[in-house]
Amino acid sequence: MIHLPREETKLMVAVHGWSGILLGLLLYAVVITGMAAVFAVEIGEWSAGHVETRSAFERPIDQPVRALAASTPQKYHEGVDLFEIGDHNLGVFFHHHDLDASGTPISRGIYYQLDRDGHVASAREGTDEDVFGPRNDDALSSFLVDTHVRLHVPDPWGLLLTGILGLAMLVAAISGLLIHRHLLKDIFTLRRKAHPVLVDRDRHSVAGSWSLPFAFILAFTGSFFSFYGTVGVPIVAMSAFGGDQQALSDAVFGNPGTPNPTPHAIGNLDRIAADAIKRSGDAPTYMAIENFGRADAAVTTYHHPKAGDIEPITLLYNGATARFEREKPSIGTRPSAGGTLVAIMSPLHFGDFAGVFSKAVWFGLGFAMCYVTLTGLRLWLARRVERMRSLDWLERTVTVVGFGLPLALLGAAVGFLVTMPLGSAVFWTPAVFLAVSAAAILAGFIVPTHALLSRALQIAIAVLLIALPLIRLAAGGPGWPTALAVGQPSIMAVDLAMLLGGGWMLWRLIGQRRKQLARPAPTLQPAE
Amino acid sequence: MLAAAAILFSLAMILLLWRGDPKRRRTTGQRGGADSAGRRRLLVAGMLAPGLILALGGDSAAFLVWLGSCVIAGWLAAQIQGPGAAR
Repeated sequence: MIHLPREETKLMVAVHGWSGILLGLLLYAVVITGMAAVFAVEIGEWSAGHVETRSAFERPIDQPVRALAASTPQKYHEGVDLFEIGDHNLGVFFHHHDLDASGTPISRGIYYQLDRDGHVASAREGTDEDVFGPRNDDALSSFLVDTHVRLHVPDPWGLLLTGILGLAMLVAAISGLLIHRHLLKDIFTLRRKAHPVLVDRDRHSVAGSWSLPFAFILAFTGSFFSFYGTVGVPIVAMSAFGGDQQALSDAVFGNPGTPNPTPHAIGNLDRIAADAIKRSGDAPTYMAIENFGRADAAVTTYHHPKAGDIEPITLLYNGATARFEREKPSIGTRPSAGGTLVAIMSPLHFGDFAGVFSKAVWFGLGFAMCYVTLTGLRLWLARRVERMRSLDWLERTVTVVGFGLPLALLGAAVGFLVTMPLGSAVFWTPAVFLAVSAAAILAGFIVPTHALLSRALQIAIAVLLIALPLIRLAAGGPGWPTALAVGQPSIMAVDLAMLLGGGWMLWRLIGQRRKQLARPAPTLQPAE
Repeated sequence: MLAAAAILFSLAMILLLWRGDPKRRRTTGQRGGADSAGRRRLLVAGMLAPGLILALGGDSAAFLVWLGSCVIAGWLAAQIQGPGAAR
């Protein structure tokens, strides 16, 4: 492997250790929520008991959207975004583009949420920041995603923070590669009964070595998303568009052409949706209409990649005639290497390019990243704690965050399941998360030994994992026969994953306890 | 289907690499049975070959799933203590 001079290796070890210890716990929070968020859609279906399997775009959308347009002020017809909400229902945002006081582009308009029959369930007017937010039936998955994306810190600071954490992960991966002299020789070496420092070192380096390629990929793509809108777009807009971010957006993502404001009824949206499904093999994830009700209207549909590919598909239609125009690159008007690179960032980060199979692999990779982060923190502590008892608080902190965070996330799921039927899940999901976090922190102060604290938190995680499917059923969620009868396997799959995860944890904990009890009790020896 | 076959083949190579890994055997107190450097190189080539085939075939989705599966399989294989593990 790479052999650095002694001094440089020491420097790299310091960079690796300190970048990990300073940002490791926050990075762990981002990674563990990211791991869960890989299955955000399935968790949303599981938690809210969604049993509809047909996309909103496979049901009639043309008439409802026309009816909404008729009652929406003309000024909001500049753009119409259509996407799925809740149990495959339709969300429609009529808006126009605007700038806020700081010159940042915003959208202002009316956001309609339709029910299953295409009737308006709610309508909210305001900017995109005002109208979008968690709903009662997606509060849990929204909470997960928001924690992963910005740690609930307001924009742009939250995105900048997670971007910096992604860079820290990149630094740790590169420095880890440089300091590990026997990366391949040690790739299967796990000494279990050696000195605790060696045990921790092996655990960290084996998991880190195997997951190294994906540490680069996930850290880079994560940082890309965080810095894209907060740093990248403003800088490019400043240097090439005189600071006009809307002009940049139009030039890069828009559909250039001669404006034609002549009024013209929009083409049949059902025909566009059906054609897009035929061409891409999948229902759109998103549909954007520019200049609704004008002769120059354009409709863009966004789709998951085709089988065997990882680049998402974007199709462009003439809005006035509903005629297919062309497949559209994600950036610019012609295919380019840069456009392809930007397009594959999302599937590379989210692992959603091959359905549940790729998601399961990405979930496993996320778990490996969590393991690397936690064992890295433990290794740093194990090397110092014998010399410095004053670091006991940090050891406890790592345990409280390491096990307390997943426990609090499971607590949030309990809060969601119990309060969603009452309509107050948006409040209670984060509230229960905070309450369980506070309980874990309190346990960190009052539980007498570190080993007992670690064990207690793990038992609580295992018990909650096993209890969650039962709580879901008790709260009125659909049973397995109902879910399977409508072709919704996510509910049963998530239940089974939780039961297996909880059962495995309990089995491991009981095994550890038995080993401890089987060991002979230490006896005092005479000094001489 | 091709991705599943590629993963299974690479998984078999990973398990063979794990079984004959010299340092793992040494640290677990297992004498003999370690693979030679040549055999290990051959097994590594065998492990990577399905990925190369997927990449050359332009199946980027299958390639990424294969790569991710190999990473997880290798990490899990390292967790196996194996018969005769003493340390």
